[in-house]
Amino acid sequence: MAICGARLNEVEAPKIRITDLHKSFVLHDVHIGTLKSWLLRIGQKAKPKRQVKHVLRGISFDVKRRECVAIVGRNGAGKSTMLSIVAKVYRPTSGSVEINGRVAPLLELGSGFHPDLTGLENVYFNAMLLGLTEDQIKERLDEIVDFAEIREYIEEPIRTYSSGMIARLGFAVASHVDAEILIVDESLAVGDFQFVQKCYAHIRRFQMRGGTILFVSHSSSSIKDIATRCLWVEQGVVKMDGNPDEVIKEYQSNAPSPESAAN
Amino acid sequence: MLIPTVSALLTPEGYDDAEVIVKSIQNASDRGPSMLEELKELWNYRALLMSMVRRELNIRYKNSVLGFLWSFINPLVTVVVMTFVFKTIMRNDTPNFSAYVLAGYLPFTFFQMGLMDSAQSIIGALPLIRKVYFPREILPLSLVIANFVHLLLAMGMFFLYLAFIYITNPAESPFRMTAMYLPFLLILNFCLVTGFSLLISALNVFYEDVKYLVGIITYLLFFMCPVMYFSEKIYYSLGAKGYYLYFLNPVATMVNAYRKILLAPQPQITKEGFDKLGHKIPDMVQAAVPLSMREMLLTSAISLFILWYGYRVFNKLKWRFVERV
Repeated sequence: MAICGARLNEVEAPKIRITDLHKSFVLHDVHIGTLKSWLLRIGQKAKPKRQVKHVLRGISFDVKRRECVAIVGRNGAGKSTMLSIVAKVYRPTSGSVEINGRVAPLLELGSGFHPDLTGLENVYFNAMLLGLTEDQIKERLDEIVDFAEIREYIEEPIRTYSSGMIARLGFAVASHVDAEILIVDESLAVGDFQFVQKCYAHIRRFQMRGGTILFVSHSSSSIKDIATRCLWVEQGVVKMDGNPDEVIKEYQSNAPSPESAAN
Repeated sequence: MLIPTVSALLTPEGYDDAEVIVKSIQNASDRGPSMLEELKELWNYRALLMSMVRRELNIRYKNSVLGFLWSFINPLVTVVVMTFVFKTIMRNDTPNFSAYVLAGYLPFTFFQMGLMDSAQSIIGALPLIRKVYFPREILPLSLVIANFVHLLLAMGMFFLYLAFIYITNPAESPFRMTAMYLPFLLILNFCLVTGFSLLISALNVFYEDVKYLVGIITYLLFFMCPVMYFSEKIYYSLGAKGYYLYFLNPVATMVNAYRKILLAPQPQITKEGFDKLGHKIPDMVQAAVPLSMREMLLTSAISLFILWYGYRVFNKLKWRFVERV
């Protein structure tokens, strides 16, 4: 029976399936010109062309359960855009994204926090933003507060917090919403060494329990630490997909700028 | 249910009872979800909406000593000033004039504040909506609901005020049976403000002129609504046709309706005085004009249309909010 179950897991639907994903942005939307720019254009005959930037040009890959996929690539390669589409922030221009499970994006420092509200109120608000009900939050409130290590400040307004405290609280909330897919976009760099280690341990445990992780990082050591697979995205396409060590080696030998400059 | 441990929290399997397979497919080729599906999605996020409303109510007076009382002080001061101006300077002798001002001013403030607040709601939350998905309409909606809560509280105060009037003058009860239509009117008013708020908040992302326009229009609307005067004045100075045109404005109809159902009809008395040539003119009584069913039906239709249209425009634009550079 157990073997059967394991086999079933092997053939189950992928957690994320991305098929021929394209995304382009209109850079200067001429339809939203100001009155000034409109007046300046009166003499000119040629209408300014819509500048379209193709950020993703046909990305396809599947992510299975328990996979921890690191995404590397130079700035502007389309990594964050891709993650944003998975998090349902952007709509694809063409292609499709299929997601099986609850997605929890790790909110960047303070983006979901209101400075005037207390830590506790912000925990509630952020957890609800990620789809928890009030009862579910009450159940795991202690865990969140303990994990963030800010118990004595939890009744204080967030504006009195240090950036490290806010980042810890943010991670604590996102990692306790029992999502099946965790999205991390370069936000682990904040926080002290111990806390980053704690986060990595947490991510590893999450993965062992069957969670799926998609993360962008410029730190090759953290990729080698926790990733089971690595995607190299370059100019909107997947240039390489495979074992983290090999991909990073190839990426670093190809990229003209060293990774330290990018981070 | 067992108290979950940290590791169990992380596991999808740790919650057999709460296991929900969330399956979502984003496909560029389809025409987007229908309005019914959008509403279903909004319903799924009702807890977030309610928490946003609570947050809004909490933040507003967070660092003030008087807190919630400010919600009442503002209209109170306005009403006192207006009553003073009209009673002593313009010599309007309507009994309980302050109650009439209040009955019109409260819904008008809801309209004004609801729109002013929600105009900035999406722009202000751009950093957040760039990071995480949730139905975007929650942002303007939470502000409209928060303002609606203020309206309800203020309406409670209004009835207390009527009770106070009754105590000081028990001969005549200021309470009216027609006040039972109030919930219906409140719902209609809510629909109208929500529709406008969805429209305005979405357009303001792309054209920030919208919020300035809203400021000017609501300022003008104040004079185009029967708050400081009685709608009868319009009837007797512009005639039936002008009166009809005047009430094509749904906000004016609503403000008027609040007054008509909450308070006794008030014949207008122009005090005796002198005309331009110095001849004495006697008191002139102008009979009260009742609320017409036709106006109300038209306003209901307009409100519901604006709600539907606002939501449609919002849904069309909402995916482009984050792409606005």
